[in-house]
Amino acid sequence: MTALVEDINSIPGVRRIENFPKDDMNALALDLTHAVYPHEEIYGKYCSLEEHIECPPEEVFRYLADVRTLEEWTYSLRDFVPASDGAVVATDKIGGTTKCYTRVASNEAAMTVDYHCAWDQGDKLWMIYLMRVIPAQLVLNRTGSVVLWTNCRHPFYDQNPYPAKAPAGRKVWVGDLWPFFYAGHHVEFQNLKHILEHRHAKGLPVIPEHLGTIGSVKKS
Amino acid sequence: MGAAGYVPETVVDNAFFGVDLKGATSGMFKGSKERRHVAPGEGGAVMIEKAARTLQGRLGFSFEKEVDLILTNVSCPDSPFTGCGASVARTLGCKPKWVLDLHNTGCVAFVYMIGVARELMASGAIKSALLCCAQTAAGRVFSHAENRVRPQSSVPGDGCGVGYVVANDESPVRGFVQRSYGEYADDMRVITDEGASWWEPHRTSVYIDFTESKIAKIVGRGNALVPTMVTEACKAAEVAIKDIDLLVTNQPNAVFLRNWREALTVPKEKQVETFEEYGNLFGAAIPINIERAAEQGRLKKGSRVALGGFAHAGDYAAAAIWNV
Repeated sequence: MTALVEDINSIPGVRRIENFPKDDMNALALDLTHAVYPHEEIYGKYCSLEEHIECPPEEVFRYLADVRTLEEWTYSLRDFVPASDGAVVATDKIGGTTKCYTRVASNEAAMTVDYHCAWDQGDKLWMIYLMRVIPAQLVLNRTGSVVLWTNCRHPFYDQNPYPAKAPAGRKVWVGDLWPFFYAGHHVEFQNLKHILEHRHAKGLPVIPEHLGTIGSVKKS
Repeated sequence: MGAAGYVPETVVDNAFFGVDLKGATSGMFKGSKERRHVAPGEGGAVMIEKAARTLQGRLGFSFEKEVDLILTNVSCPDSPFTGCGASVARTLGCKPKWVLDLHNTGCVAFVYMIGVARELMASGAIKSALLCCAQTAAGRVFSHAENRVRPQSSVPGDGCGVGYVVANDESPVRGFVQRSYGEYADDMRVITDEGASWWEPHRTSVYIDFTESKIAKIVGRGNALVPTMVTEACKAAEVAIKDIDLLVTNQPNAVFLRNWREALTVPKEKQVETFEEYGNLFGAAIPINIERAAEQGRLKKGSRVALGGFAHAGDYAAAAIWNV
């Protein structure tokens, strides 16, 4: 065990109490703690948001894991229809007639829901939205759920790899909006929170029957 | 250094734009309450003359003998090709050694002018300079009937600010920093809906267009550019940001003003701005706000004033610390 610890402490960049005394750690902490942080530094490479939702974690998970609900809580994904391999395709109205392909990978035990998406094509789903539901009782000592949501800045956000697949004349590219991703995700996260809290408070099913099956989404 | 401003008499309220401005309550194009518009025939040179005479009346320098350099920036020029510096020299009776039009530096022109004047002073070429910034685009471009309804049109306001600087140690400007970003040069364009360039015959009005797909990036870079430059200027001038007494920037909209102040951790009471009253004054904002600070008794001997801004879609940025 001792040998192992010594090995770890000799790895460049590793700071542990054995090789980085408390005074040094305090000085570093002071240096790293700013009054404000540039937006780019916080949201430039990763866009992470978190929110408490007054709705049981199992219900929140079930809602998120059902791809049809994206039609409700996203800002602009509409008109879902089935695509190949269990994926679905919707119109992302922020991009006019842009098609957005989505496949959900969820894990009930871990309560994680990952949306693998892409604009314009379904062969490589590179826009990946990682979500995790946690019982708020565990982490905040209160009812409901804590939801974590992270999006990573895949290089394709900066350079559309399939420009030929875009609808003719489209001026926007999803990645050009990256500086607004925190804002966009925040609005959608609030939609998610308000929808689930409303239904839970009123005793309504969190997944309404009218969502039906993909391809037969009824307009309310 | 001293500064004086002039704003046109025509006050334009939000009803002028004939559209529901509720849709433009946030972001890049959040409007002010009022703004001024130049009258037809009231050009950049006319406003500069008025502001310069006010300034001369206060400081008492000689137009003829104590203006070695005239720098001008008029957002929507009185006349293409020439700039208006020579015309200003004639109307004021100046005999400058140098006349330069700093058209390219837009909303941050005043800070660039300080930088150019400093360089020419350091080389011994000049001892004094008149720095003239006039914003004319509100009345000249955004008042046209077909432009009024655009979300951007209620934001600009016309006005003029003139500064006078002399080479001495009395109230030095230190830590001047400037940078240009060629990669952002084409993100703001002057266009017409029919596709004609401004010099080509066309039926519809020209207006300023920010590349739609770049709006998010322009906001992001605008948020970062000004605090970055002011921070660098503070470092160069060896002034801690917390010791800044006043923050004076260009004023594109209320969001940028808030974000710059927040990013620099400068409290609201240290920021000087006139956005609600005058809108986006482009290059004239900084000298007009310096005058405003003086009128309000906020500009005191020894005050450290951080001047900063960026132009257009981020192609130029500059900052300096003025020790009053």
